[in-house]
Amino acid sequence: MKNSVSRYLNSFRASLKIDSDIKDSVAQELYTHLEDRSQELKEKGVSKEEADKIATQVLGPPELVAQQVYETYAQGNWQEALFTALPHFLVALLFASYYWQNVFCVSIILMATVGIAIYGWHKGKPRWLFPWLGYYLLPVIVTGILLIYLPQGWGWAVAALIYIPLALAVIIYIVMQTARRDWLYASLMLAPIPVIFSWLLSLGVGNEFFLLENVWIAELQTKIPWIVISFLALAAATISFIRIKRRRYKIIGLLIPTIAISISVALVNRGGIGPWGWLLLLSCLVAFVTPNWIQSKGYKYLEIKFASDSTR
Amino acid sequence: MNYGRELLKGNTDSLLLCLINARPTYGYQIVKELEKRSDGYFQFKEGTLYPALHRLEKDNLIKGKWQMLPNGQQRRYYYITKKGQQALAKRLAIWQDFSAAVRAIIQPESI
Repeated sequence: MKNSVSRYLNSFRASLKIDSDIKDSVAQELYTHLEDRSQELKEKGVSKEEADKIATQVLGPPELVAQQVYETYAQGNWQEALFTALPHFLVALLFASYYWQNVFCVSIILMATVGIAIYGWHKGKPRWLFPWLGYYLLPVIVTGILLIYLPQGWGWAVAALIYIPLALAVIIYIVMQTARRDWLYASLMLAPIPVIFSWLLSLGVGNEFFLLENVWIAELQTKIPWIVISFLALAAATISFIRIKRRRYKIIGLLIPTIAISISVALVNRGGIGPWGWLLLLSCLVAFVTPNWIQSKGYKYLEIKFASDSTR
Repeated sequence: MNYGRELLKGNTDSLLLCLINARPTYGYQIVKELEKRSDGYFQFKEGTLYPALHRLEKDNLIKGKWQMLPNGQQRRYYYITKKGQQALAKRLAIWQDFSAAVRAIIQPESI
């Protein structure tokens, strides 16, 4: 059976959603504190079990300590906030400067995004990584969707059968790895996806005119100011996410603007995305909100557990 | 509202900086030292100590380093930084002015 010190530290670690290096260090520090307190009590003649129990009680509820440590590290500085929002700014800049048609510029930005995402992934998944990772995943998702609309035949069937499961496996793997770090970061990563989908759908992806390049580009040109505004709004939501201390407000600061932007894009286009478009957009939004929902379920579980522990 | 607790809360950072400035120390030792020096007046909520220490470290006022004790156990010692010493000097000056002003009002005969 686990003793009260292990239970305390496990509960502390489970409640604390910060970089694993910092988490390990704080948990180790709490362990040494509990060790010292317990040792002092044992020297006064208290049994080991009782000493451990008293030491953990004196330290206070692990969830509360975790929440206070979280608030210390949750707020990033302005530099980090701007770097986290940078991919959204780059997309806005790309459209504002009309360089989105320039293959060279788009390729440079794509390569930089891939490079930064891979670098961050192998450097302990810092917080700034996740929006970059979202854009890194985007070509994988968009290719899968475009594949559905391509003329179908044997070649298509083979490509779809290989590509779609592979792409899904990659996406699920990255989302799971991100969620292991913190569910909230999965939503931060997925935030650009509903916005981009609502734009793609509004621009007619999936209808019979979509493959006519001129029609698509002409449609896009008229929407550029709105596209720029939507990505600037996404950047603002990302900055507020990084700068806000409290977890609850972080969730609100990320969810509400992203949902509002995605729905506004569809509405600005007079809801012309069609029923399948709405369904697809809804699915994106559900995927975006789910990590937060799971997180809040986890919190409720902890609250209930804590309440029942304290009444014992 | 517990007035004593609110006062302690408002001055926790200064107390911690003061102790760490006297000599590098670790969490448990800080709790014991606070209790000893205040003759048991400061009963620190132990769980709140570490968030406070990490907040000071994040603000570059102190620096934590893992060190081995002679008995082989590891403890995270906190050292004050130059920025921390400057912040402490500023806070102490403000505190002394403040407490002198309060004393002058509540105990005018003692001046």
